[in-house]
Amino acid sequence: MASAYNPIYTDVPEKDVFALHFLQTLSNLRTQNSFSSPDNKTSDRVKKIKKAAYVSMARAAGGANRLWSRSLLHQAAKRNNKNVRFLRRKRRVTWLMRRRSNRGDPIEDVAAERLRNLVPGGGGMETSKLMEETAHYIKCLSMQVKVMQCLVDGLSPK
Amino acid sequence: MDLTGAFGARSAAVGPCREPPGLESLHLGGGDGGFTALLELPPTQAVELLHFTDPSPSSSQAAAAGIGLDVSPPPPPLHAYGALTFPSNAALMERAARFSVMANEQQQNGNVSGETTTTSSVPSNSDRVKTEPGETDSSQLENNRCGKRKELDKKARREKINARMKLLQELVPGCDKIQGTALVLDEIINHVQSLQRQVEMLSMRLAAVNPRVDFNLDTLLASENGSLMDGSFNGTAMQLAWPHQVTETEQSFHHRQLQLQQPPQPQQWPYDGLIQPAWGREDDQGHGNEHNSLMAVSENLMVGSASLHPNQVKMEL
Repeated sequence: MASAYNPIYTDVPEKDVFALHFLQTLSNLRTQNSFSSPDNKTSDRVKKIKKAAYVSMARAAGGANRLWSRSLLHQAAKRNNKNVRFLRRKRRVTWLMRRRSNRGDPIEDVAAERLRNLVPGGGGMETSKLMEETAHYIKCLSMQVKVMQCLVDGLSPK
Repeated sequence: MDLTGAFGARSAAVGPCREPPGLESLHLGGGDGGFTALLELPPTQAVELLHFTDPSPSSSQAAAAGIGLDVSPPPPPLHAYGALTFPSNAALMERAARFSVMANEQQQNGNVSGETTTTSSVPSNSDRVKTEPGETDSSQLENNRCGKRKELDKKARREKINARMKLLQELVPGCDKIQGTALVLDEIINHVQSLQRQVEMLSMRLAAVNPRVDFNLDTLLASENGSLMDGSFNGTAMQLAWPHQVTETEQSFHHRQLQLQQPPQPQQWPYDGLIQPAWGREDDQGHGNEHNSLMAVSENLMVGSASLHPNQVKMEL
């Protein structure tokens, strides 16, 4: 994919990176004892696979470099009761939150709130930053969907 | 800043030899905004402006100070301007004709943020000029300065948001034709929601498919090797690229083998990345069907994407 010069940086790695991360996460899932036992409920398994998909997507998209991926990984780590520490620029976040109160354009704000609920980690961001993150998030999501589609197609019985 | 050009224009229109000393240092080139400020007004109002400063030099000084200019020496022979209205009007009209073309061109080309900020902030300044009479100096000065800055900030912010909105519009299919920020944003939100729902659907399907296949990462990687390698890829290179992750999964795999004592599988899996031994070992295991399906899967993935560059992989990991 030829990348044209875009001052807003939203490049996303190729499909195989996503594939690799997803497969690795899945295989880690397999090695857990609880997974391969047949008396597992399907819903639990589905949830685990979904979690694995999101975590692998966050990793593939560049780990802690993006706000949404960072918050995703943080959430996942919390669920596993691991304390993962990222290099957070605390001061900058609070400064941004203080300035956010001044900048409200009622037309955008409603939609911006909805976006913030959808995109992980959207709580403390200004609208312009939020839109960058959304663009990157959309790209990564579509990559992940392609990978999973290929997997399912390859594995489903013919 | 915008209206210093206006003052300069006025003096230039009236008489070139009459330029007041304080205004000589003013930019006329940067006064494009000033010209367009004057030209936004219809000619009669422009002439009124000229007249306005006529009656008393003190009021014009107040006007100048109110607009936020630091023109210390007031333009001296203001009363003379009134006498020269007719020829100045004609000269001004001629200049107006010439510069209106420029202004139009500027406004058409000026989609970049800087241009639009200047041309859009200028009419508001000219509005302030009209409402000048009778306002005090200092408070108006401060209000105008803060107001200008806030306006510029708002414009800049809006430009940023519009740029990013364009980017999002290109990403989301079918967003180009929609007019209006709110609708585009709604469409974007719908797209994100649909993508998330797709992920959930696919994960459900994967879970349904899953118990059939023993998901073996090492074999998958080996088969990926098979499709990717043209002989250019070294096994050692791959090992360098994915050292910790691969060995970790290998170790976890070995752990499971040792703990659960599964049916005989090779305890050692030397990751040399060569095709022949890998294929051979897989055949020995006799899990032919499953491995075939896994290989097909990985072939699917790899065919659809570009070849894997070691540099890229190193970067991502």
